Amino acid sequence: MGLLDRLSGLLGLKKEEVHVLCLGLDNSAKTTIINKLKPSNAQSQDIVPTRGFSIEKFKSSSLSFTVFDISGQGRYRNLWAHYYKEGQAIIFVIDSSDRLRMVVAKEELDTLLSHPDIKHGRIPILFFANKMDLRDAVTSVKVSQLLCLENSKGNHGIFVLVKP
Amino acid sequence: MAAASSSDSDSGRAESNEASSKWLDAHYDPMANIHTFSSCLALADLHGDGEYKLVVGDLGPGGQHPRLKVLKGPTVLTESPLPALPAAAATFLMEQHEPRTPALALASGPCVYVYKNLRPYFKFSLPQLPPNPLEQELWNQAKEDWIDPLTLKEMLEGIREKAEVPLSVQSLRFLQLELSEMEAFVSQHKSKSIKRQTVITTMTTLKKNLADEDAVSCLVLGTENKELLVLDPEAFTILAKMSLPSVPVFLEVSGQFDVEFRLAAACRNGNVYILRRDSKHPKYCIELSAQPVGLVRVLKVLVVGSTQESLHGFTHKGKKLWTVQMPAAILTMNLLEQRSRGLQAVMAGLANGEVRIYHDKALLNVIRTPDAVTSLCFGRYGREDNTLIMTTRGGGLIIKILKRTAVFVEAGGVAGPPPAQAMKLSVPRKTRLYVDQTLREREAGTAMHRTFQTDLYLLRLRAARAYVQALESSLNPVSVTAREPLKLHAVVQGLGPTFKLTLHLQNTSTARPILGLLVCFLYNEVLYALPRAFFKVPLLVPGLSYPLETFVESLSDKGISDIIKVLVLREGQSAPLLSAHINMPMSEGLAAA
Repeated sequence: MGLLDRLSGLLGLKKEEVHVLCLGLDNSAKTTIINKLKPSNAQSQDIVPTRGFSIEKFKSSSLSFTVFDISGQGRYRNLWAHYYKEGQAIIFVIDSSDRLRMVVAKEELDTLLSHPDIKHGRIPILFFANKMDLRDAVTSVKVSQLLCLENSKGNHGIFVLVKP
Repeated sequence: MAAASSSDSDSGRAESNEASSKWLDAHYDPMANIHTFSSCLALADLHGDGEYKLVVGDLGPGGQHPRLKVLKGPTVLTESPLPALPAAAATFLMEQHEPRTPALALASGPCVYVYKNLRPYFKFSLPQLPPNPLEQELWNQAKEDWIDPLTLKEMLEGIREKAEVPLSVQSLRFLQLELSEMEAFVSQHKSKSIKRQTVITTMTTLKKNLADEDAVSCLVLGTENKELLVLDPEAFTILAKMSLPSVPVFLEVSGQFDVEFRLAAACRNGNVYILRRDSKHPKYCIELSAQPVGLVRVLKVLVVGSTQESLHGFTHKGKKLWTVQMPAAILTMNLLEQRSRGLQAVMAGLANGEVRIYHDKALLNVIRTPDAVTSLCFGRYGREDNTLIMTTRGGGLIIKILKRTAVFVEAGGVAGPPPAQAMKLSVPRKTRLYVDQTLREREAGTAMHRTFQTDLYLLRLRAARAYVQALESSLNPVSVTAREPLKLHAVVQGLGPTFKLTLHLQNTSTARPILGLLVCFLYNEVLYALPRAFFKVPLLVPGLSYPLETFVESLSDKGISDIIKVLVLREGQSAPLLSAHINMPMSEGLAAA
């Protein structure tokens, strides 16, 4: 949980409860990542595509997280905007092996960042360049290039994390 | 991969320029080397994992090496050679059992190759056609050595011209042979029974008894033998056979086989025939003014693209609804179906590199591509629902994804008068000079008129005099008399001192050759030397221009040029028929220098 501690340090949060939005396209393994963050006895064995959204809670050393795990399927992406107000941090998950839909992820990220609730809110965003173990995965540098992250979208704190 | 990534960054830039575009540029690979048509493209969840693959019946560069390619995302997943050029590709569910992975059917030559899970599963061959009994009889006789190959050839040729049933491939091959090769061919092939087989030109799928997305479908085949066959999805037996007056090239179906269906077949004779259940022959016929290049059904409208660069909309009974003119030739057409918004539209790939999307008559969107698009496919690819896959004439692959937020709206065409009406006419302005001139004309109009008339009389007189003079001396190069219609013109080539002088003589009568003409050159013998100053003209056939050339050598070293006269004379008459004057150019040769 070292990473989350660092995250909380950067946030400068003193309070206990943090609301995190977990976003990304469908099949990018958002639910799996959240599941892995939970304590081992609370982890579920099989993970099915999320319908709508689900709320997960887990604790780190200093913070207690409430994660909104929202479905990334095309028809549910309209729902994302309803949770932007609650979000104090965003986890954006990208399937590094899905080269074709990287443009879709970029498009969704752009609409997310230009949303009025997010635009001025200086929310830290954590990017997961996920599925790095797959053969046709692209590197995290390439992912950040494809998503144009170097253009420093707004004033957000941006972290790119590679999950092996 | 390097090429692909660089092109991706290019397309990314284009996209940022065109922020309002409805499409995301997912992939562009100009080196993909995919040469195919819309009919040989199919999208299906081949492995049942929710990841849709693209099936391409690739003709190969130059149509040489046909291959079956399966694409996953931007890369080729598997590739296997095909026995013959593919005519069409389709995916369909064969049976109700789980797992519901669709089978892939590829029509090629007289066979349909069915793949399941990307492995060859079944090969369906078209039933053989009955051969001509007369032809069969002849080959039987040849087998018994009752007739020699020459008689066989003659009799087969007789059958070819008269009989209704066409000859088999074997007989046609035999008729092509030289005399020396016949003997060997007959002895080799006489023992074989003759076969007559046809090939598949087009293929599509028709739902069997449910209209659902994952219902069992039948294959519908169109053959070169002007027939439509409906195949059973499991047993591959023929469920129905329909005949057409011409060879079908595009097929469009709607409905279900067991309930009611409509088949629209665009044929090579430029007609679209519409068949229904229980009708062995077409019920309606749409006659187009040009050959069809594509056939797409949008809801209840049949859209036909014709070679006259236009799209036509027809009802299912063959009534014409509308026509839209395209800016360039249509190369391919396909259906765009956006299920989330319930939109059905027609895509047309044009020769000028545009892909236009039409909903009925209204233009919804134009996509500009770097190369002319030869095949189009829209549907679920990978995990994205609205993906447009295009391949270009040069073999490139373009994948675009429709934005989630994009809505196609009919671009409200400009109403009112055409823009040409607002253009200003370029009427010249009148200056002071013009006004003064009109004032003078108003004051001294009578004198002006009189003087001009006198001058005109004089002009006419002089013109007539000069004309008579020219006629008398036959100076003109075109003869005016109806008796001797001739035309002459001379060309000088070269810089000197030797020039090439070519006379072009032409008989301008309709059907009367001219005989016995002579050509004579008159020139200053001090200045020029001609090898032949007087020669005969060959018989002049009407219509042809005869180039008669001579070499003129300039003798003067002073750089003097003179006139050479050419006279065309009739034998036995001293008066020339026509003549030409050639102004010889200054000699720039060594003699002059």
